[in-house]
Amino acid sequence: MTHPYVRLLEQITRVGGVRGAMLVVADDGLVVAESLMVGIRGAAIAALAASLTRRFAMVTKTSTVGELGFLHLQGEDGTLAIVPAPTGVLVVAVGGSDMNVGLARLEMLRIAEVAR
Amino acid sequence: MRRTRAVEAWTVEPLDRFVGETGARLTLLMTPAGQVLAQQGFTRAVDVMASAALGAAIFSSTGAIARMLGEREFRALNHQGRQYGVFLGALDAPRGKLLVLVVYGPDSSLGLVQLFFADLAEQLVVAAPEPEERHGPILAADFERELDESLASLFGR
Amino acid sequence: MSLVNFTTREITCKIVYYGPGRSGKTTNLQYIYGRVPDDRRGRMVSLATETERTLFFDFLPLELGTISGFTTRFHLYTVPGQVYYNSTRKLVLQGADGVVFVADSQVRQLDENIESLQNLQSNLIEMDDDMRSMPLVLQYNKQDLPPQLILRPPELDEALNFWGLPSFPSDALRGLGVFETLKAISERVLRKLSEEASQ
Repeated sequence: MTHPYVRLLEQITRVGGVRGAMLVVADDGLVVAESLMVGIRGAAIAALAASLTRRFAMVTKTSTVGELGFLHLQGEDGTLAIVPAPTGVLVVAVGGSDMNVGLARLEMLRIAEVAR
Repeated sequence: MRRTRAVEAWTVEPLDRFVGETGARLTLLMTPAGQVLAQQGFTRAVDVMASAALGAAIFSSTGAIARMLGEREFRALNHQGRQYGVFLGALDAPRGKLLVLVVYGPDSSLGLVQLFFADLAEQLVVAAPEPEERHGPILAADFERELDESLASLFGR
Repeated sequence: MSLVNFTTREITCKIVYYGPGRSGKTTNLQYIYGRVPDDRRGRMVSLATETERTLFFDFLPLELGTISGFTTRFHLYTVPGQVYYNSTRKLVLQGADGVVFVADSQVRQLDENIESLQNLQSNLIEMDDDMRSMPLVLQYNKQDLPPQLILRPPELDEALNFWGLPSFPSDALRGLGVFETLKAISERVLRKLSEEASQ
């Protein structure tokens, strides 16, 4: 049986260009649930994404732009997007350069709301 | 920057890199019997030895639990505190098994430590020399005299 | 296995104090800890139960000084004596370079001494080691008790020391014999280390 969290993540992976999505514990960088295409290094991305989010959250706080709401990294070959949920969980999505970031973001924010 | 203090020089580079990447507070490389090969971050040598003895003990006692479960051993263990966590991992080097004990704080995470531990283990295995060939006696024939003097001074005699 | 490093010229050896429950293994370490200057010893770690009996082990790192140009360190461990802690004893024995067997000299403890010595032998054999190759010395503790309660060293040699190993009468609480025991095991451990290396 698929875990309910994985079914949530499938709402993100249905978005065009998305290759995988994960729920990650912000504090320890460990994966709670994942729905990833073969070959994506989930544990590694989770650990690094959590570390990155901590640093960026510090930057937004210090520069008085408020809590970090959305992180979007555009690489040559793809996209990484992170939404920190208030519960201490990160919603992470990985995709190609063709990823529909706007729609993915909407789904991620929705999941951040319910992933408690 | 804090530097690795090593009994075995080949361990320095991989450990320095590991600490740089994870932001670990304390790192200790040792044999399963608790003999220290290298350390980073400890300020007192004696704390290093006690941590190594306790780390090796944790590893072997949980190993006994692993065997009850039909596992050969646990390759990695984590102890989570409120501020700090302790990670213990094993790797197979050419001269036998080695253990790494990592203390990490709020600026790092278990995920990061796990991630870079895998790299560290690979790098240590590559860097490790073959077991040393020993040539000739290690100690002088009259080592007992020096030992006697050392022990006498140790006991204030 | 002792750790010898030729580059940094360091030797680290592990010595285990073995013996039946309440024979005075921890007392040996406590006495050493109390006598050795701060800069030559580490923190003594004791994992004990509420009733002050060793649960897992005691650990005391000692800095001996320089011997033949090698900085020499000894790590002293004790094992829990009680019969039911054998799996812990085996864990602590792993990688030992030498063993001090601390016997309780009381007449009524003779069976416990014999049982513990046999247990040491079977644990060593299980680890592909044995009494003959492992540096070992015996200590007959509590020799300060009234004569009618204890066995004298020759009697204990008769009962326990089949291998003609060095044995030392002691009163670990007051430190008598503690130093001599440590000296004897140190010599045997370092001699074995040196002989192995020259082969």
